[in-house]
Amino acid sequence: MKEIEIEEIKRLAGLSALEFDDEELEKFKGEFTSILNFIEEISKANVDGIELEYPTHDFDDLRDDEAVEGLSQEEVLANSPSTKKGSFCVPKMMEE
Amino acid sequence: MDISKLSLLEIVEKLRQREVTSEELVKYYIDRIEEYKDYNAVLEVFEDALDRAREMDEKIKQGFEGKLAGVPVIIKDNILYKGKKATCASRFLEDYVAQYSSTVVEKLIESGAVIIGRANMDEFAMGGSNENSAYGVCHNALDFDRVAGGSSGGSAVSVAKSLCACALGTDTGGSVRQPSSFNGLVGMKPTYGRVSRYGIVAFASSLDQVGPITKTVKDNAYLLSVISGYSKYDETSKKEEVEDYLSKIDGDIKDLKIGVCSEVKELVKGLPVEKTYFDLIERLKSQGNEIVEVSIKDLSLVMACYYIIAPAEATSNLGRFDGVKYSRREKGCQDIDEIYIKSRTSGFGKEVKRRIMLGNFVLSSGYFDAYYNKAKKVQQRLKKQTLDALASCDVLLLPTTCGEAFKIGEKIEDPISMYKEDIFTTLANITGLPALTLPCGKGENGMPLGMQFVGKEFEESKLYNLADYIERRRSEWNMI
Amino acid sequence: MEYDIVIGLEVHAELKTKSKVFCSCKNQFGSTPNSNCCPVCIGLPGALPVLNKKAVELVIKAGLCMDCEINDKAVFERKNYFYPDLAKAYQISQLVKPICVGGKIELKDKTVRLNRIHLEEDAGKLVHSSRSIGTLIDYNRGGVPLMELVTEPDISSAEEAVEFLTKLRSILVYSNVADCKMEEGGMRCDVNLSIKPKGSDVLGVRSEMKNLNSFKSVYRAIKYEAQRQIDILEQGGKIVQETRKWDDNKERSYAMRKKETSQDYRYFPDPDMLAVNISRELVSKIKDSLPELADQRFKRYVSYSLTEYESEILTRDKAYSDYFDKALSVYFEPKTIANWFLTDVMSKLKGQDEIKISPEDLALIIKSVDDKVISTKVSKEIFEKAWEEGASVEKLIKELSGNIEGEELRKIVETLVAENEKAVSDYRTTDQPEKVLRWFMGQVMKMTKGKANATQAETMILELIKE
Repeated sequence: MKEIEIEEIKRLAGLSALEFDDEELEKFKGEFTSILNFIEEISKANVDGIELEYPTHDFDDLRDDEAVEGLSQEEVLANSPSTKKGSFCVPKMMEE
Repeated sequence: MDISKLSLLEIVEKLRQREVTSEELVKYYIDRIEEYKDYNAVLEVFEDALDRAREMDEKIKQGFEGKLAGVPVIIKDNILYKGKKATCASRFLEDYVAQYSSTVVEKLIESGAVIIGRANMDEFAMGGSNENSAYGVCHNALDFDRVAGGSSGGSAVSVAKSLCACALGTDTGGSVRQPSSFNGLVGMKPTYGRVSRYGIVAFASSLDQVGPITKTVKDNAYLLSVISGYSKYDETSKKEEVEDYLSKIDGDIKDLKIGVCSEVKELVKGLPVEKTYFDLIERLKSQGNEIVEVSIKDLSLVMACYYIIAPAEATSNLGRFDGVKYSRREKGCQDIDEIYIKSRTSGFGKEVKRRIMLGNFVLSSGYFDAYYNKAKKVQQRLKKQTLDALASCDVLLLPTTCGEAFKIGEKIEDPISMYKEDIFTTLANITGLPALTLPCGKGENGMPLGMQFVGKEFEESKLYNLADYIERRRSEWNMI
Repeated sequence: MEYDIVIGLEVHAELKTKSKVFCSCKNQFGSTPNSNCCPVCIGLPGALPVLNKKAVELVIKAGLCMDCEINDKAVFERKNYFYPDLAKAYQISQLVKPICVGGKIELKDKTVRLNRIHLEEDAGKLVHSSRSIGTLIDYNRGGVPLMELVTEPDISSAEEAVEFLTKLRSILVYSNVADCKMEEGGMRCDVNLSIKPKGSDVLGVRSEMKNLNSFKSVYRAIKYEAQRQIDILEQGGKIVQETRKWDDNKERSYAMRKKETSQDYRYFPDPDMLAVNISRELVSKIKDSLPELADQRFKRYVSYSLTEYESEILTRDKAYSDYFDKALSVYFEPKTIANWFLTDVMSKLKGQDEIKISPEDLALIIKSVDDKVISTKVSKEIFEKAWEEGASVEKLIKELSGNIEGEELRKIVETLVAENEKAVSDYRTTDQPEKVLRWFMGQVMKMTKGKANATQAETMILELIKE
C-alpha cells in the first residue's frame, strides 16, 4: 500500500491553484492514497518496446492562413468579473 | 394523445402531419418539467423556448422540413448555446453565458430543433451518479431514492420522464451510457471524432464525445445523424461521410457475429448484471447468431488507464477556470495568486478537486513516465487488442453497468467504489470505438439493466441494427 | 583568473502570417485591446485550436535556411502554468518533436550550432497600470504564431551574441518568415550564461535572462551578467541557478521572484490537436522555393563587381537590397546604381527609413544620364525634387532634358570645337578618347546651363572631332 505524504498533497495543491485546510488535507490524504493504489495497477503493465504513436493529419489538412473577424471587444469581455479600458483587469502585479 | 408515450420519431411525424404543434409540445414539456421539478433534472428552461417553437410552427407551415423541425430538445449543461447559460453544474460557472454556440447546437438549430433547456449533470461531467452537481442531486426517473447516473443524469431523466423529445449528453467514460442504462433508455457514445467537440466544455479532450439519449433505438439513430459530422473548428472531428443511420436499420442481423470477451465473462461473475448478460448471449445464439469468443488481455488495466488519462487532460482543461476572464472571481482578492486559489477553491466541488489533484500527480515531473506515459502506451495496446478482437466479429457484447442504479448517498463518500462502476464503459472511450446501450433486463429491485455493444470505428449503424432487432423482441424475450 | 563565457540563446520571433496560429483572428500589432480575439484565443470553454498551415510552413522555411533537419512529424504539447497573459493556463508549444532539429548559423569566425526551432503561441500583453487601476490584460497578441529557436551554448561574447542575432534577423527577414520588429516585440531573446575558468571543460552554473528586446539590451545584459558572475567567483562566492530580469534603464539585472511551482510545466501532447505529418516532398518543395538570403545576394553583388563594402551595405537591410534589385531590373548598371544608392539615397536616409523615390524612378534618372538625355547636374536636381516634393521623375526629365537643340545647339558646339584645337588633337591621339568626349560634353552643358539635348550634342561633337 502506497501512502502519500501531506507535503506531496500540498505540492499538488500548489500546482492545482487550490487550497485545503488541515482537516481537508487529512481527509484528502486518505482518499488520495486509495485512489493512487487504484491507478497503481498500471505499474503491473509491461510496456517495453511500445513506441507511442500520435494521431496525425497531413500538412494539407491544416487551416489556410486567412484572417476572419472574431468576437467584438464587448463580446470578449462579456463574462469578465472585472474590466477596464477594454481589457480584462486584475490587481496590479509586480512587473516581471 | 399522450405525448409522454411518444417516441421521438412519432413526435417528428405528428409535427409533420400537423397533428401537434411545436408550441403545444413545448408548453406540455414546460408543465411537466414543473411537475417533476423534484427530480432536479432540468437546471433551466430557456425563456425563449416558446417563441422559438412558434417560429418553428410558422416555418413548418411554410414547408420547412428539417429533421427536427419543431422538436423540443434538452441539452446537457456543458454544451454551449450562444446567449444561454452553461454552468457545467459548477458554482464556478454560475453566471457564465455562452459567447458562442457549439457545433452540435448549430446542427440542432439548423435541423429545426427547439432547445428548451439545460440538464443537470455531475460537475464538469466528473462522476457517475449526478450527485456531484453544485445544483443538487438529480433523481432516477424510475425510483426517486436512486441515482440518475452520470454524468449526463439530467439528460437521461429528462428523456425518461418525458420532459423533452430527446436529449444530448456527453460521454467521457460512460456518461451517456450509464445514466441511459439506469433510466431504461438508449444511449450512444459515437466513434471518437464522429461528433464535433467544438463548444463542448472539455473534460478529457481525447475521450469526450457528445451522444444522443432517447427512448428507442430508432430515435437514437435519427438524432445521431443530425449531430454528426466534421467541423473545421475541431481538428479531431472526422471527415467520414455521415450516414443516415435510421435508413440502415433493416432488421437483418443474421450474419452478424457477436464477440464475447473472456475477460468480461470473468468480471461479470457475481455481479447483479450477470444473468442478464448471459441470457442475452443465449438469446442471440438461439437466433442463429454466431457468438465468437474473443480476448482483450489488458482489459483489467482499462480502469487505471482511464483514471490516469482522463484526470491528466482534465486538470489542464480546467486551468482556464482561473477567475480572470469569465465568471467566478472570489471577492476581495489582493493579488493574482489569491484570485486563482480562492476562486478555484470555492468554485469547484470535491470530486473536481480530486481529479485536478490526481491529474497533476500523474503529469508532474518524476511521475509522468510511470503514470501518464505508461497509461498512454497501455491505451495503445488496449486499442490494438480490441481491434484484433473485432477482427473476428462485428460487435462486442458487454454489460453497461455492474448492476441497477444504486441508492443516492450509497457511494458518494467512497470515490473508488464509484470509479469502479465505470468498468464496462471506459473501454469504448479509451479505444475511441462506438458503443450503444439499450435496456435488456431488470434487476432484483425492478430497475433496468442495460447491455452494451461496442463496434468498429464508424460502424454505428451495425450497433443500431442489432439493438433495434433486440428492442423489437424485448417483451417477447421477457426482458422488460 | 581568466574566464570563458558560455552563452546559449533562445530567440522568439513572431511569424509573418495573416491569422493567428490556432485560430483565424488577425495577427496584427497595435489594434484596440481585445479586438482581434475569438473563443479560441481568449480561452473560452469548449474552444479548440486549429493549426495554421502557413505558420508550419514558415518554421520549416526558417529551418531550411539554417540547415536544420525537418522532423517527419511535428507534435504539439501543452505547457501548463497559471499566468494572466495565458488565457488557457497552458501554452501550446512543442517539446518532444519540434518541427526543426539541429542546424547552424555561420558567423564570421565561428559556427553557432542550433538545438531546435519549434512553433508555439505568443501570450497576451499585460499593461501594469496604476495601483488603483491594476494590471490590464489584452489578448490581441495571444495566439500570434511564434517560432522559438534555441542555440547550443556556442556563443562566447556579447559581440558574438549580437552578431548572431543580426545574422538570424537577416535570415528571417530575407526569407519572409518574420519582420523581427524589435520595437513591437516581434523578436525577443532569452540569454543563458555561465562562466568557467579559461580552457576548462566543466560548465559553470548558468543564469537565464528573460525577454531582452533589443540588441543593445542583449549586449549590455551579457556584459553585466558575465562581470557579475566573475565578481562572485573572484570573491569566493557561488553562482545560483536563477532567472534574472534585465533593467535597461538601470543597466543592471536582478533575480526574479521565484515560484516553487513554476518549474513543473507538466508538458503532455495536446489532446485537442493532431500531430502533423511533414512529407519529404513538402520539404523539398519548400526548399526549392527558398528566396535568396543576404549572403547569396552579397555574392551576387560582388559578382557584379561591386566592392565587398558596397555589397555589405546593400544587403544589410532587406529593404535596401530589394530596392537595389528592383532598380537593376529596370536598368542593369549595378555599379552606377550602387553608387547612386550609397551616396545620394543613403545621405537622404539619415534619420529616417522611408526611401521616397521608387527604384524604377531612380533607375530612370540614371539611365537618362547615361543616355545623355540629361546632364549629371540636372539628374541631381530631379532626384532632389522627386524626393522632397514627390514630383514625377518622368515629367521632370522631359522638362529638363535639353531643349536647346538643332541649329542653335550646332552653333554652340562648333564654337566650342573651334576654340579647343588641343583637345581635338588629344582626342585623336589618346587611348582614352571617351574622357575627352566627356570633357566636351561637360563644356556644352556648362555653356547651355545643362539645357543642351545631350544625345544631339554628343553626335555633333563626334562629327566634328573625328577625322
